[in-house]
Amino acid sequence: MIDVNQLTHHFTLGKKGNQTKLSVLENISFHVSAGEIVTIVGRSGSGKSTLLNLISGFIRPTQGEIIIEDQKVSNFDESEFAHFRLNHMGFIFQNFQLIPSMTAFQNIELPLILKGMGETARKETALAMLKKVGLEGFGEHYPSELSGGQQQRVSIARALVLEPPLILADEPTGSLDSETEEDLLQFIQQLNKELGITFLIITHDDEVARIGHRTISLADGKIVESGVFS
Amino acid sequence: MKLKDQFRFILQNMKKNKIRVFMTVLATAMGCAFLIVLASVAFGLHDSVLKDTMESREINEIEIAGYEDDNGTYRSINDEDIARFEEMENVRTVTRAKVVGQEITASLGDDYEGTISASSTYFPAELEAGARLAEGRLPESSNEVVIGHHFIPLLTPSNENTEDLWDEQGFVKEELRYNEAIIGETITLELKKIEDGEESTGQFEVTVTGVMEQPSREWMWDQKVYISEDLLGEMEAFTGTPRADLYDPSDEENEGLIADGYNSVIVVAANLESVQGISDQLKDQNYLTYSIVNEMKQVNMLFTIAKAGLIFIGTIAILIASIGIYNTMTMAVTERAPDIGIMKAIGASPKVIKRIFLLESSYIGLIGAAIGIVAAYIISILVNIGLPLILEAVFEEELPAGLMFSYIPFSLVVIAIVICLTVTILSGFRPAKRATEIDVLKAMRREV
Ligand SMILES: Nc1ncnc2c1ncn2[C@@H]1O[C@H](COP(=O)(O)OP(=O)(O)O)[C@@H](O)[C@H]1O
Ligand SMILES: [Mg+2]
Repeated sequence: MIDVNQLTHHFTLGKKGNQTKLSVLENISFHVSAGEIVTIVGRSGSGKSTLLNLISGFIRPTQGEIIIEDQKVSNFDESEFAHFRLNHMGFIFQNFQLIPSMTAFQNIELPLILKGMGETARKETALAMLKKVGLEGFGEHYPSELSGGQQQRVSIARALVLEPPLILADEPTGSLDSETEEDLLQFIQQLNKELGITFLIITHDDEVARIGHRTISLADGKIVESGVFS
Repeated sequence: MKLKDQFRFILQNMKKNKIRVFMTVLATAMGCAFLIVLASVAFGLHDSVLKDTMESREINEIEIAGYEDDNGTYRSINDEDIARFEEMENVRTVTRAKVVGQEITASLGDDYEGTISASSTYFPAELEAGARLAEGRLPESSNEVVIGHHFIPLLTPSNENTEDLWDEQGFVKEELRYNEAIIGETITLELKKIEDGEESTGQFEVTVTGVMEQPSREWMWDQKVYISEDLLGEMEAFTGTPRADLYDPSDEENEGLIADGYNSVIVVAANLESVQGISDQLKDQNYLTYSIVNEMKQVNMLFTIAKAGLIFIGTIAILIASIGIYNTMTMAVTERAPDIGIMKAIGASPKVIKRIFLLESSYIGLIGAAIGIVAAYIISILVNIGLPLILEAVFEEELPAGLMFSYIPFSLVVIAIVICLTVTILSGFRPAKRATEIDVLKAMRREV
């Protein structure tokens, strides 16, 4: 599903003429198979988010290549990557990243609109998705009228609505209480089992790391450990 | 993303900031209305001038002043030339006249006299060209004449005080005019001649058989006496000069001073469309021509320049309004940056983002243009009703009927829409581009 080969990433800091290079990822390689749940752990600042952003195409690697579903996405231009994201990836963010001026229903509908789906099919699909995440009756609520857990479910519904084979999550439980977190983890496992969706989840929470079939541990921009979480 | 959905999207966005959008639309509408109303004045006046000209019969006429060969040698038009003109395609008729080369004193009995001009006239062509008699009949013998419509009103009674002889229009006061039947009356035409340096006069008696109709234009005065070719011949024999011009034929210096031939020749085209063609053809054959159509070419060009100039000034108004659009769109992009970031993150391509914002700015432009056009039509109507009233009140003078100050043709509306849309789309371009450049991560961290 995902192949990361000798990935290196540097950030340049400071103003022109007085720049310093910050090396965040050094020569990272790993593989994620379809249907796996892989968690990435590591201390704060170890480069987890940077790795995920590279895979998502939000930033471009300094060196190395990323191959997703046999496509060398690290060569894509912005448009191609956007298209690829829409069709192959779902995202769950720590802060949910819902559009505040849109209702829960409209937020879920958004990927379908971007995809160009007709109105009737769209409404049906979005409604089914709303039901699936247990938010039936909350469709007309705006994000600000929903609890954190409910918002995260809306964002999961939005990530799932186009049935992507891969979902990327950066600290998905970071803003949730432990009970809601438990629900979410179960839901992820259920989706993985039932639909075979591959998950790549960043966390610094052991509870989350535990649901991974495999865990990659990052420190100082290098993989220090890879295997079943213990 | 479907166009319909993009549209719904921008409507939703515009609703969020109604007042700002309204102000921007208002500015655009004002700019657009300003452009249209301004230019409509040139269109209106041009139209009035054209209509006025089109209605006159002179529009079909080509005056032939003479013939000038390649060496620049001039001669006046003769019967051979006229025969050639008459042969030409689309020529309805050729009117021709020899105007007597001196002022003539005409007297009616002992009580009335006036200074007039006389010309020999070929009546069949004159009638074909549209001239009509108001009363009487055409001359049949050499000493019969037709008089112009203003011959009588300009004939002065010889025993009246000249000071309050005239009315406001410049004619002899109604009550002082000769007011009996003129048909059948005899008038005396007095000509001068110079012979061996000595000036003397000669008199020709003619009988009036008809009076011409009033000329097509109010400002045209016709006090001519239309005489026969034969009578002109007699006059020429009297003075010894062509067209009875007043100079001494025995003086050698005057040899060939006046060319023989017609000095008022008008080719009347069958229709307006063929005037240009005939005129060009005649010019190619070295004839000196003049026609209103040619004149109109210059007038048209002048109006075209005026229109372009006014449209240009109007465009500046729209450009000013576009600053508002630029501002509105920039603010919209800034406000929506987090949303744009999220949309990009889940897979909206930069193209779609750009199109949404361009659509929004052009939508503002389009609504502005639409409102501006409606407003311009209303203003135009008010101007056409109100301005004549004001002008007439201020200058106490009646304006010509049918004068239009402002006219908005469809083409002007199209021009305004095109300018308005171009300017608004251009002003939305940079904000739209900025929207596509929004960094996903920064936007999601609310850093933009
Ligand atoms: N846009 C950026 N510009 C400069 N430095 C950055 C940027 N993003 C992250 N970093 C730096 O890269 C390192 C890794 O950050 P990150 O990937 O966010 O770590 P993690 O998610 O593991 O906490 C940190 O030292 C951080 O300061
Ligand atoms: Mg992080």
